Amino acid sequence: MCEQGYKSVRDAVLFAIEVSDSMLQPRPSKDPKKSSQESPATAALKCAYHLMQQRIISNPHDMIGVLFYGTKLSKFYDEDENSRGDLSYPHCYLFTDLDIPSAHEVLELRSLVEDEDKVQNVLMPSDENVSMANVLFCANQIFTSKAPNFLSRRLFIVTDNDNPHGDNKALRSAATVRAKDLYDLGVIIELFPISQLNQEFDTSKFYDDIIYKASPMDPEAPSYLKPDSKTAEAQDGISLLNNLLSSINSRSVPRRALVSNISLELGPNFKISVSGYLLFKRQEPARSCFVWLGGEKPQIAKGVTTQIADDTARTIEKWEIRKAYRFGGDQVSFTPEEQKGLRDFGEPVIRIIGFKPLSELPFWANVKHPVFIYPSEEDYVGSTRVFSALYQKLLRDKKVALVWYIARKAAGPVLGAMMAGEEKVDEDGVQKFPPGLWIIPLPFADDVRQNPEATIQVAPEPLIDQMRTIIQQLQLPKGVYDPQKYPNPSLQWHYRILQALALDEDLPEKPEDKTLPKYRQIDKRAGDYVLSWADELEKQYATISATSGPKTTLAKRPAKDKGAADKAGPPAKKAKADGSNAGNIQAEVQSHYQKGTLSKLTVATLKEYLTSLGRSAAGKKADLVERVEELLEAK
Amino acid sequence: MADKEATVYIVDVGKSMGERRNGREITDLEWAMQYVWDRITSTVATGRKTAMLGVIGLKTNGTNNELQDDSHFSNISVFSEIKQFLMPDLRQLKDEIKPSSTDKGDAISALILAIQMIITHCKKLKWKRKIVLITNGLGRISDENVDDIVSKVEEDSTELVILGPDFDDSEYGVKEEEKDPRKAENEALLRSLSEQCGGVFGTLEQAVSEMVIPRVKAVRPIASFKGFLQLGNPHDYDTAVRIPVERYPRTMVAKAPSASQFVLRSDLAAGQEGPDSITTIPETQPEDGNPLTSVRNLRTYQVSDENAPGGKIDIEREDLAKGYEYGRTAVHISETDENITALETEAALELIGFIQAERYDRYMHMSNTNILIAQRPNDKTSLALSSFIHALFELESYAVARLVTKENKPPLLVLLAPSIEPEYECLLEVQLPFAEDIRTYRFPPLDKVITVSGKVVTEHRNLPNDDLQDALDRYVDSMELMDKDEDGDLSEAPFPIEDSFSPVLHRINAAIRSRAIQPNDPIPPPAKILTQFSQPPEHLLETTQRHLEKLIEVADVKKVPPKAKGRKRAREPEKPLSGLDVDALLSQEKRVKISPNNAIPEFKQTLALAENIETTKDAVKQMRSIIEDQIRHSLGDANYDRVTEGLGVMREELISYEEPGLYNEFLKDLKEKILKERLGGDRRELWWLVKRSKLGLIDQRQSELSDITEEQAKAFLSAQ
Repeated sequence: MCEQGYKSVRDAVLFAIEVSDSMLQPRPSKDPKKSSQESPATAALKCAYHLMQQRIISNPHDMIGVLFYGTKLSKFYDEDENSRGDLSYPHCYLFTDLDIPSAHEVLELRSLVEDEDKVQNVLMPSDENVSMANVLFCANQIFTSKAPNFLSRRLFIVTDNDNPHGDNKALRSAATVRAKDLYDLGVIIELFPISQLNQEFDTSKFYDDIIYKASPMDPEAPSYLKPDSKTAEAQDGISLLNNLLSSINSRSVPRRALVSNISLELGPNFKISVSGYLLFKRQEPARSCFVWLGGEKPQIAKGVTTQIADDTARTIEKWEIRKAYRFGGDQVSFTPEEQKGLRDFGEPVIRIIGFKPLSELPFWANVKHPVFIYPSEEDYVGSTRVFSALYQKLLRDKKVALVWYIARKAAGPVLGAMMAGEEKVDEDGVQKFPPGLWIIPLPFADDVRQNPEATIQVAPEPLIDQMRTIIQQLQLPKGVYDPQKYPNPSLQWHYRILQALALDEDLPEKPEDKTLPKYRQIDKRAGDYVLSWADELEKQYATISATSGPKTTLAKRPAKDKGAADKAGPPAKKAKADGSNAGNIQAEVQSHYQKGTLSKLTVATLKEYLTSLGRSAAGKKADLVERVEELLEAK
Repeated sequence: MADKEATVYIVDVGKSMGERRNGREITDLEWAMQYVWDRITSTVATGRKTAMLGVIGLKTNGTNNELQDDSHFSNISVFSEIKQFLMPDLRQLKDEIKPSSTDKGDAISALILAIQMIITHCKKLKWKRKIVLITNGLGRISDENVDDIVSKVEEDSTELVILGPDFDDSEYGVKEEEKDPRKAENEALLRSLSEQCGGVFGTLEQAVSEMVIPRVKAVRPIASFKGFLQLGNPHDYDTAVRIPVERYPRTMVAKAPSASQFVLRSDLAAGQEGPDSITTIPETQPEDGNPLTSVRNLRTYQVSDENAPGGKIDIEREDLAKGYEYGRTAVHISETDENITALETEAALELIGFIQAERYDRYMHMSNTNILIAQRPNDKTSLALSSFIHALFELESYAVARLVTKENKPPLLVLLAPSIEPEYECLLEVQLPFAEDIRTYRFPPLDKVITVSGKVVTEHRNLPNDDLQDALDRYVDSMELMDKDEDGDLSEAPFPIEDSFSPVLHRINAAIRSRAIQPNDPIPPPAKILTQFSQPPEHLLETTQRHLEKLIEVADVKKVPPKAKGRKRAREPEKPLSGLDVDALLSQEKRVKISPNNAIPEFKQTLALAENIETTKDAVKQMRSIIEDQIRHSLGDANYDRVTEGLGVMREELISYEEPGLYNEFLKDLKEKILKERLGGDRRELWWLVKRSKLGLIDQRQSELSDITEEQAKAFLSAQ
């Protein structure tokens, strides 16, 4: 049972960035080549801007806001210096109101990041001290009014001042009380401390009274995670920015469990409680929607669905609806209870059936992303130590548990392989992958497809040797795949274009695509080896076609294929393993193009030519001819 | 396209089939029909027009077939010609299959008739032909023309299956004692017939018992990509390699059939009143067929407009343009720019680089898997790909590649692994995560505890001591899943993939089929085979029992009693990292009144510091007027989220402090005020929100001290 079922499953982040002389003091880079004027405040702004952009993509319904404190100017909704009466929150400047960001706000924040003058204007430190109690209550009011009933509300404080109120007891205890208010409201304070040049940030001076151990939303969050120590030590601006970015990134999304406090059954009558999290999830661009252009500015139209009966078009109430399966041209219907019962295989559980070596798990035995499992003490005290022992055992012996996994009551059971994953950290000691267990859902017999027939021609040793050299030349750094290095190019491009359209900017010309292979490097490092492999391939192919017949799971193939491949002959100094008559086709198409007789070519030839260039071969002949023409013109 | 199929079932419905034999609770005919219905309904379930079947009744009272003029063919009736079977055919067949009052009728003649029916229907065309004969082998069977049958069956490569109750089968282990000599003779005749034409002859018991093994639907492989595996850029470099490959799925989740929505036909629905009657299907079928009609979705579009009544206006679909959301800004995309946000790509599988297999974490697999084979049929290509597969294998490496399956499709990052089997080589492919696909939730280490002060501790109640680790190690080692071979030696068993069947898929299929033939019977429970992996194997449990007992003992895991969860009275007050007693500060501050703009924290704090029930009651009273004010002053639904939050917090807190009555009393009053429109007009939408957010009365399940039953709580929410 979810105890906070009444909450809306959204997240609101409010940045509170301190503005002071030291925060605005640029920290020059030690590397003379990189002349940058990054100050802690601008670094914090860049982070906020980065997070804002990122969340538009990843969490389009979550809110973000930016509040400066310690500023000379004050602004809170319709209050500022010019309004009558006292200011409620002096030296607090609400720059971006807490909301789902609009294109305009993105632009405003960016111009603040880029435009020095404006920075000077807004980011002018006040001569007076700001009261932290006031800052915290200001945040409280923003959360209370703008993000009521959110499941997760977080205040990100970025500051280099570890002791804002010195020994002033009254101010200190006022701040402590306001911090407790935030805690009771369900707002989590995350501190991003920045050390001053000559002195480390000491949280015990003030902030340990402000920040709480457990998060009010997630009392199970085991112990408090220390802020990344490195953030505090960076002296120059660039590394300060990078550290801050990685630190904020690692907390960019609030932790949400996919399944909370499910039983992990190690054996009959022996259960512990765990929670499951989704750490991998394919991020897709948001679906397109309908926009109404009849108003002052474009507005998103909200779709409302009403259900009607097909026979008389009368509107239907929900209770009338019955589920039925089509069968033999008719409907076979079940009552809602029966319908539910069909998927009911018992209470949610992760039950261990036995253990097996990890090496036995076939590479292909996979159907979707895994679920991450971490212990919780909510239902069983002592879960963590048993889980820890299991984790260590599986990790040490490279074993997996076969589990029967029912995530929710109607989810249907899955057989899974539960493996241990070691904690991974980056160079700065920031966690990249957490320690815990992963459940990999296995395919059922129904999900396994048979291999199609294939021509099998096992390569002889000399050819394999050549290929081995090529592969050895092209290792990725450290021989590992690091997903962080590969942003999804189509996702990034989609939002890059949207941003340009929304802000009425020029469209970018060329996408940045980090998934494209590094062609120049491949040529440089492996080019010669590739050529020698290609020669070897020709040699081996000649021997094979001369001597033995091919091994194949297919019936005998017509002999003419061999002939065609032979005709292609050994290419001079051009590596081509196509083996097909691709070379001929290219020449053929080229010559017809020059003569202007492309339409005389057969559809099959055109298609083969297009496919060989990775182009779509769909459409009528005229379309194909047109496409080939375009291609050749561009050359 | 699957092949066309024609199957003829010959069912013995003789008088003797209506008897119960050898201690069975059902008649032989009912038993035989279990098998026949299973086969027929699985054909119907495919919904294929080209999967046809016909049914012949043997030993029927009357005679009805195209050869009936010949006396050899008497007491044989064609129940159904060869056709696609639909529900009405099933119903009709059900009525016709009944034990007759005769045991006359020749099985061999029925076979000839079946062959004739198939010839008439399929002519010389390409069909998969099959005849299934089920008989108890009693009654006279003539052995004339057997050779003709054999040659005809072989000529058309018809599959022949002959089954019967209590047929002897030494392989399966059935031998009927005191067998009727006539039956023995007939069995011998049918067996030799079936052997001569390469058919199947078996005992019914085996056929019925094998019915529970789900049939896995074979899917014809279809290439999802045909293109080049590329190393380097062939446009710009002469050193680029291209190997033509084809990609086929290796795994693909078989989806259970999905139900569609229906309602009772409007002319029938008129008689229905309210939700109570929905579970009863009308007893009598209306004469003009189906009582259900399908549900259509009607979509309308609205935008907000401050000047319109209700704040919203309807917009026609034609007046809307396509667009996307960028934050809360609507970005409109004109039709001519439709693909402006799509990345231009070229179809190819391009190698990015190589990684060490042992340094790859198996949990990064993101998708189903595919295989890549050399384009067929092409020796040189096979040779080239084979060298790549073997080189990867020898280096214990995987390849990382960028895959675009079609022009302008989004690129995918995939991992390629070599697969070498005795007769098959291919690359296995699975999708990898992009940077955006990773959620960086952080968790503390599991092998050590880091305290708030940053100290690393290795002995802690959250860490196993040596005893626990040792007990767990032993238990895990004893639970290794192994196969026993004939000699009783243990060997490593593969993962049980080939004999694990999708429980939901087969459960639903079985239920549909059962409901189709027996509409009034309850749904049978799931077949045992579907839950065979829901528990550890029995033999393992026995041998590991003592290890488990030891483990339970040293683990000392204690279940948290349900009531203790979330109970606040006994709990330590939450403290900041420094451990400072903020409550002490708060009590000094003396917040006498809960201020509306900081209501939730102050309400919580008042309750935490309350020394007597009066304080609690007073706090609830204050909250009540704050919430009522919020409702009264809400412009439309502006304050509803705040109200929901306030109610939710009150409900939670009052459950924890064991004062459910205070909340219930408040909510009853609030409901009345809302329904009587005393809080600033029509607030029914808010009540709907309360319902949806499950903020109703606290019932006895949630708090023992409540005097509201679950039913009362339910009724309270739904009653108007």
